[in-house]
Amino acid sequence: MLKLAGAILVLVSGTLIGFRQAARYADRTAQIRQLMHVLQRLETEIGFGHTPLPAALERAAEGASEPVAAIFFRTAARLREGGAAVRDALRAAVDEGWSRTAMREPERSAVIRLGDALGISDREDQIRHLRLAAALLQAEEAGARDEQARYGKMWRSLGFMAALLVVILML
Amino acid sequence: MLDGLLALLPAELASLIRALPASVLDGLEEIRVRQGRPLEIGHAGGFAFVTPAGTVSADPAAGWRPDARLCARLLERITNHSLYAMEEELRRGYVTVPGGHRIGLAGRTVLEGGAVRGLRDIAAFNIRIARESRGAAARLLPHIADRARRSVLSTLIVAPPQQGKTTMLRDIIRAVSYGDWPMPEARSWPARKVGVVDERSEIAACVRGVPVFDVGPRTDVLDACPKAEGMMMLLRSMSPEVLAADEIGRPEDAEAVREAAHAGVPVIATAHANDLEDARGRTAIRRLLDEGAFAAVVELRRRGADIAFRVARPIPAARAPTPRAGGAGAC
Repeated sequence: MLKLAGAILVLVSGTLIGFRQAARYADRTAQIRQLMHVLQRLETEIGFGHTPLPAALERAAEGASEPVAAIFFRTAARLREGGAAVRDALRAAVDEGWSRTAMREPERSAVIRLGDALGISDREDQIRHLRLAAALLQAEEAGARDEQARYGKMWRSLGFMAALLVVILML
Repeated sequence: MLDGLLALLPAELASLIRALPASVLDGLEEIRVRQGRPLEIGHAGGFAFVTPAGTVSADPAAGWRPDARLCARLLERITNHSLYAMEEELRRGYVTVPGGHRIGLAGRTVLEGGAVRGLRDIAAFNIRIARESRGAAARLLPHIADRARRSVLSTLIVAPPQQGKTTMLRDIIRAVSYGDWPMPEARSWPARKVGVVDERSEIAACVRGVPVFDVGPRTDVLDACPKAEGMMMLLRSMSPEVLAADEIGRPEDAEAVREAAHAGVPVIATAHANDLEDARGRTAIRRLLDEGAFAAVVELRRRGADIAFRVARPIPAARAPTPRAGGAGAC
């Protein structure tokens, strides 16, 4: 009886671990896409709205969901408090919030690099930088989608299979 | 007032300014930041360099030198991290920050078709501290009062830069708008509606359309609007009894002043010039004076903290031999 309960426990947790890993792949794709949308809205605010950066960041982030939105809200809050330069404010916000996202290093460096240029040049230059970041993210998103298709399914079955193996060995 | 400005400056620059002796801070007029060169301040008519210890010195070699990083941060902060939204300001060469302080910029200009499109590599800042000086116009008002119409005369205020033109203009606006007439016989004069065209946001220092300086309860401000167009807009839409504008001098400004004169609205304006004679050297202003558009010309000179003035009554050239019907045919 006790053995059966243990076996079920191992099976359930193994499956859950597999699903969780698979979800991380799906999350990464979704979050990169959100990040791209934020940048697109930011481009509109800067290019056509002439909105000051703190307000532009907030408006651009409004459409996104957590944890991506938080990075931009925090940056805007830091700018409003005064003191910080855009690059430092964005860097700090990324350091704080990045671990909660499923995104990886290439996306992170694209955002940080964008922070180095944001707000300190004329409109055309800003739009150029935003488009460059968007193009980088686009490439990452394609890769992420590939991985999701490939490893997502694998993890989902792998979790269950591994658990099953453990159970068989235990019995 | 200085605190608001200092909060906007990068920390090391602000702490250096804060460390200055109180006597210097009280008379502080300008802070000039030039990349790689000593920090200069203008105070009480003179100038000095600021040393790293926060004292003043006449020796440039002793001055603290701001670096490129500080200049970049200063620029980022005065533009609210949004240089891209400041194209118009960069074309004109200055940014007005909350509090009405004006920050002049110099760097490398960007040309487009031979005209200045903007500035880049900005490496010099002139932070001009705006001060509100209530009662500055109290002694002047009796000289420019229009006793027949119980209002003010059309007045041109001339002075070189930094002699208190804008301060004086702002206080005239405030006094007229409150009905704060200093003359005993004017106790019963009503307060007047004042229309202000504040092209450089210096007179009222509007933040999102609301004046920061007290320009009176009956004053309407058209912020950041070209003067000529703004005066016409106000005339049409806000039925002003007095119009005010800063630093006129272009031909189209003259046209607008003329238009206001025809509408019977006195205009109070300032112009960059050493004195009346000097002002006559500028075509647009000479024509206005000759046509009698201004009934009084005030020359200003700063004496320490006080502003001294001299009032002249220009004689219209055209009025003497053949009186035309208000000169309307001419324009």
